[in-house]
Amino acid sequence: MRLLRFTGFSLLEYLRSGRVAIEIIAALLIYAIFLRRPMDVTYFFNVVGIFTPLLTLYTMAIVISLGDRPQGYVVVSRGIGRATFLLGLFFTAWTLVAGTYGLISVIVALFNPPTELDLLNWLLGTLPLLLNIGLLAALMLLLSPLVLPTGWRLFILSLIALAFSGNFIGGQLLNALPEAVRALLRALQALLGGPLVPAFYGFQLAVTRDYSSATALANLFAQASLLISLLGLAIYAFARRDLIFSTQ
Amino acid sequence: MTAVIDIANLYKAYGDVSVLQGLNLRVGAGESFGLLGPNGAGKSTLIHLMLGFLRPDRGQIALLGTTRLEQIRLRVGYLPERQRYHMAYSAREYLRFLGSFSGLTGAAMHERVDRELALVGLTEVADRRLATFSKGMLQRLGIAQALLMDPDLLLIDEPTSGLDPTGQREVIDLLNEVRQRNHTLFLCTHYMHEIDQLCDRVGIMANGRIAVERKVADLQGIVNSVRIKVQGMTAQVQEALHTLGPGIHCEGQSVRISQNSPRLQAAVLRTLLDANVVILMLEPLENPIERLYLETIQATKLPSGLHTSLGMFNNSQRPILTRTPPEKVASPERQGERDPLLHELLQTGKTEDK
Repeated sequence: MRLLRFTGFSLLEYLRSGRVAIEIIAALLIYAIFLRRPMDVTYFFNVVGIFTPLLTLYTMAIVISLGDRPQGYVVVSRGIGRATFLLGLFFTAWTLVAGTYGLISVIVALFNPPTELDLLNWLLGTLPLLLNIGLLAALMLLLSPLVLPTGWRLFILSLIALAFSGNFIGGQLLNALPEAVRALLRALQALLGGPLVPAFYGFQLAVTRDYSSATALANLFAQASLLISLLGLAIYAFARRDLIFSTQ
Repeated sequence: MTAVIDIANLYKAYGDVSVLQGLNLRVGAGESFGLLGPNGAGKSTLIHLMLGFLRPDRGQIALLGTTRLEQIRLRVGYLPERQRYHMAYSAREYLRFLGSFSGLTGAAMHERVDRELALVGLTEVADRRLATFSKGMLQRLGIAQALLMDPDLLLIDEPTSGLDPTGQREVIDLLNEVRQRNHTLFLCTHYMHEIDQLCDRVGIMANGRIAVERKVADLQGIVNSVRIKVQGMTAQVQEALHTLGPGIHCEGQSVRISQNSPRLQAAVLRTLLDANVVILMLEPLENPIERLYLETIQATKLPSGLHTSLGMFNNSQRPILTRTPPEKVASPERQGERDPLLHELLQTGKTEDK
């Protein structure tokens, strides 16, 4: 209940501050630029599947900055505790992005409904999409200065960079490396890339909405598990560090 | 007396910078304790440690009889130093949200919010956005939020910081009203007059510890130096005053008494009144708390290896000097070591290593 109240408190502040205009304008622009043409459901989910992560980056950054202010001391000193404070910030950002996605969906449904779009199709595409929004928001929360000290953030970012390194270390560069290093790099890429698979497959699932195999359901489960793990890590780290809000 | 705050051997450092070095403190139920210290002495750090925002490196904090600070969060009210609140809300909305975070609901919450708004005199502006509030109003809101759960312990950080004289007066008056509710008050401040008006006991922080503690009442006796502003004082009266003692100096229409005593002060006043001199004002030229503060800070700036511990855990008015490293003088037993010779040296400002 306190989590709901704190999320409502943060949301209402965000709305009243006028910052939500950015999300609304972004939604209108996305519709005007990409979604006014004749389209099918796949195209719709391709567009929103790219737009929502970008919006998550922006919204989560703003929500984290709102959480990382001296105003937070009075809130945390009450009965809500650190975990509720952190989860409240997460759900605030998630609700804002999901709400913006909902707004786009309503506009599209009213003014330019794609062929084959019905409620079931929309829900099947929306579910992995919302989980991906949550995953990205949770990762940003974990990597925020509020939660992790600089050293740990750099370490995790380097792991993520290593996981993605297959995209920019290849061909001649890869061949120039000693065999042992190449083997180690591949092993690390496979190991560290593992947690990224549910996110990428989630995007694919949103676009295809193909739930005919068990893999689809397993992926939803993996997305949810990864989301809970990231939030758990963030809460764990936040609970153990000195709470020093930014004074900027 | 039951200790509401019981802190033992507390250490806290930010990286290489040690802020608290073996701090000990006990504050009893219903007591009002004021903590003075220079900027960066660790006063706010101490409050943040008590609130569980920071983790101690060593030592123990027990509040209201427990070291599990998260369990007594609702019994502790906190007034932060800076008046930074969520400005998008009205005072009433804000307090209701904060109340709901603490588990208040329904009519009980509305009643408490209205009661605290009335106490701090914000009822009429309760539905105005905080963004339109003055600093003084925000500080009163801060007091209201701190009192919302009717806490047993109030932690107050620099309550009049950044306020104009009117705002300062209002906040001090308000906190004096709050004192009548029998909360235990812990107050950090730079201002001696706040200690004078709000506290039963004062502690002065230096070198990461509370170097000296005194009862404020003990410091509120006659001051050492006063000035009496008068009208109609003649040369004859001045001569008569000079005969009363060497510590009397007449400067125009004012009389300064240094090395004051109740008897000397009474004699001066009697002489003035007998001569039909109009007494306009009698003002202290020093604040005993300020003097204690300055002496303590001065005394703790001794060469390394020589540390002062002025009267901690005893009611002695005599400073105690120990040669023990700071991390080893934390326990009250050790701080009881006394050295009259070093005390003498301290008083005269000589600090050679004898």
